[in-house]
Amino acid sequence: MKKVLSIAITLTLTISLILTGCGKKESGNETDQAGGKEKVKLSLWHNFTGDDQRAKTMRSIIEQFQKDHTNIELDIQAIPPDGYRTRLKTVAAANEMPDLFVMWPGVMTKEFQAGKLIQPINELLESKPEWRDGFLPGSFDAFTIENNIYSAPIALSPTSILYYNQSILDENGLQVPKTWDELLNAVKVLKEKGITPIALGNKAAWVAQSSILSSLADRVTGTDWFLKAAAQDGAKFTDPEFVQALQYLQDLGNEGAFQEGFNAIDNTQMEQMFAQGKAAMMIDGGWALTNFAANASEEAMAQMGATVLPSIPGGKGDPNTLSGVVGTGLGLGKGATGAKKEAAFELMYAMAGPDAQKSVLESNQLVSYKVELDKSKVTSIFAKVYELVNTVKTTPVYDGVMTSAGAEAVNNGLQELLMGGKPEDIAKKIQDAQAKSLGK
Amino acid sequence: MTSSSRMKGFITLGLLPALLLYLVFVIIPIIWSAYYGLFDWKGIGTAKFIGLGNYLEAIQDPIFWLSFKNNMLIVAASVFGQVPIALFLALFLLKNSWFHKFIRSSVFMPMVLSSVVVGIIWGYIYHPEIGILNFLLDRLGLSSWKQLWLSDPSISMYSLMVPIIWNYIGPYLIIFIAALQNIPSEIDDAAKIDGVESSRKLFSITLPMIWDTIKVAVVLCISGSLKAFDLIYIMTGGGPAHSTELLASYMYNNTFSIYRFGYGSAVSTTIIILSLVLIAGSQYLMKKNYR
Repeated sequence: MKKVLSIAITLTLTISLILTGCGKKESGNETDQAGGKEKVKLSLWHNFTGDDQRAKTMRSIIEQFQKDHTNIELDIQAIPPDGYRTRLKTVAAANEMPDLFVMWPGVMTKEFQAGKLIQPINELLESKPEWRDGFLPGSFDAFTIENNIYSAPIALSPTSILYYNQSILDENGLQVPKTWDELLNAVKVLKEKGITPIALGNKAAWVAQSSILSSLADRVTGTDWFLKAAAQDGAKFTDPEFVQALQYLQDLGNEGAFQEGFNAIDNTQMEQMFAQGKAAMMIDGGWALTNFAANASEEAMAQMGATVLPSIPGGKGDPNTLSGVVGTGLGLGKGATGAKKEAAFELMYAMAGPDAQKSVLESNQLVSYKVELDKSKVTSIFAKVYELVNTVKTTPVYDGVMTSAGAEAVNNGLQELLMGGKPEDIAKKIQDAQAKSLGK
Repeated sequence: MTSSSRMKGFITLGLLPALLLYLVFVIIPIIWSAYYGLFDWKGIGTAKFIGLGNYLEAIQDPIFWLSFKNNMLIVAASVFGQVPIALFLALFLLKNSWFHKFIRSSVFMPMVLSSVVVGIIWGYIYHPEIGILNFLLDRLGLSSWKQLWLSDPSISMYSLMVPIIWNYIGPYLIIFIAALQNIPSEIDDAAKIDGVESSRKLFSITLPMIWDTIKVAVVLCISGSLKAFDLIYIMTGGGPAHSTELLASYMYNNTFSIYRFGYGSAVSTTIIILSLVLIAGSQYLMKKNYR
């Protein structure tokens, strides 16, 4: 009997505890008065979980914000980058968006806008014109839909920088290749000496697409053609100029420019190969810089140089360009209204405002914002890339413009191409996938 | 109430929680997924009903059938690799000396490792630049045998079979050892008295006695290999150019890389149907033997 009684008491206690717990949660959701100021609860999702300098910088900005704004209670979900997009897409499918979240420009912004999940931030930008005008030209393009701007970028990602190892080139009497023929010649010379000419890690398949083809094809076809083909409006991926671009890439592969087994190693391993001096060149994005800063030695970085891909004879594109995208920004969920929206704007300004942009730049991450770079705070290769980016124009990246299905077809197609597939057949597959996903 | 019906009532009560969980987390999602398969849905926005369109598209897609073929290779490698090796080892490792225990634990070892770890280990073994396998072949003077194990589409599927077999022998070994230990010793004694030779004993006594266990192992093996995903996802990601794509990775890529949730659901439903057909088929084939 005693046992039954004690169980009953425990149960009652537990239940009442649970119930009061629920009650508390309820009231916590509402905004209540605390110290004269309204207490606001804000959810934030980000992917700055890594050990690189930029992620640390972003985390410290968020921590500082929390200290300065005691009236804003942040509910933070930090999700590792690999799983972040999938998690975000999943809550988007369930219509449970967080108030503020790291959002990609281009396709993702378009999809969220079409799903009525985000709100524009024009208000915030107009209230701080000196901030808005500090961004580099075109920074908002990929976040803009029908004059509504949905985010402000916190990063800039040039995707096709040709990194080279100066000492390896010197030892073999080579210059930094400026034209396609010079590149092929360099490949030949290095190959004869048994040195890997260009490190490539295409296991994840987007590397050849984002870093090599985006710029190489732009040299051949010109930007206008690509934008038309991506929209399936007046141009097709089966057009001869695109097939020719694929042919160039295949030729490069056939010349033995890339090390054996490039489809089995990933982007990080390729960066390691280059940083350890096992390859003379590498075609990679700006993201390599934070990795170099964290992992490569001073001496190794001093040997590195950066330039654009070589020009192509008779190509329609401007050879003095880099393919690139503005990086992620913060998106504002539909649910943030009233005081919540005010708080969200404050946090957004803290994370993407002039001070934040400067700290991000100093953690070896390029930004799409006019900041004077203090070269003593960054690595030597970062300073070189910073200068390069400021002197060339930016062209679109394939997977930033094409649909997800189209980009996936390019990724797989390039793997096939580099294994000896026919350029015409691959162009056809890409064309079919892009046309189908656009419903044309 | 009779004791047997009370017993039944008790069994039902005991099964209820598991059954409920199974219903909520397995059966209902399967039905939902089959239903989502009827829609053209990107995960965001409105879903458009397109009937059997996704299912038709799946069975007309050559990559789907390539994935199916690759999956069948994995099933074959598992059924004819894992099960016989596990059975063979079980017959030899029945004793409890420290040597047998040691071998048993080492065979079971990979099972305890997370498949991410196994994938990374084997990724390094096969690595084109710093791989141990190519290094060993070089040292043994067999440089001509060196291969691009994971990036050459003509051999990559076979390279992947090795870690898959290696990784999953353990559980079958345990199942078989348990079954072998359950064979009553009287039968052994009777066989001895009748003067049965060891190979005859194996085929006329031991195997028939554990035949039901072998059947279960084969079913587990088939369903397990049809779900195969993690190792391959880590080692090749289904590439290069779809050459090591499996049904599960095909489904995953369509759902989470291209964001075609409806199509992905249709593919997963098709996988379930294919698995059921295969398991039913294998049960039918195995029924004929020995009984």
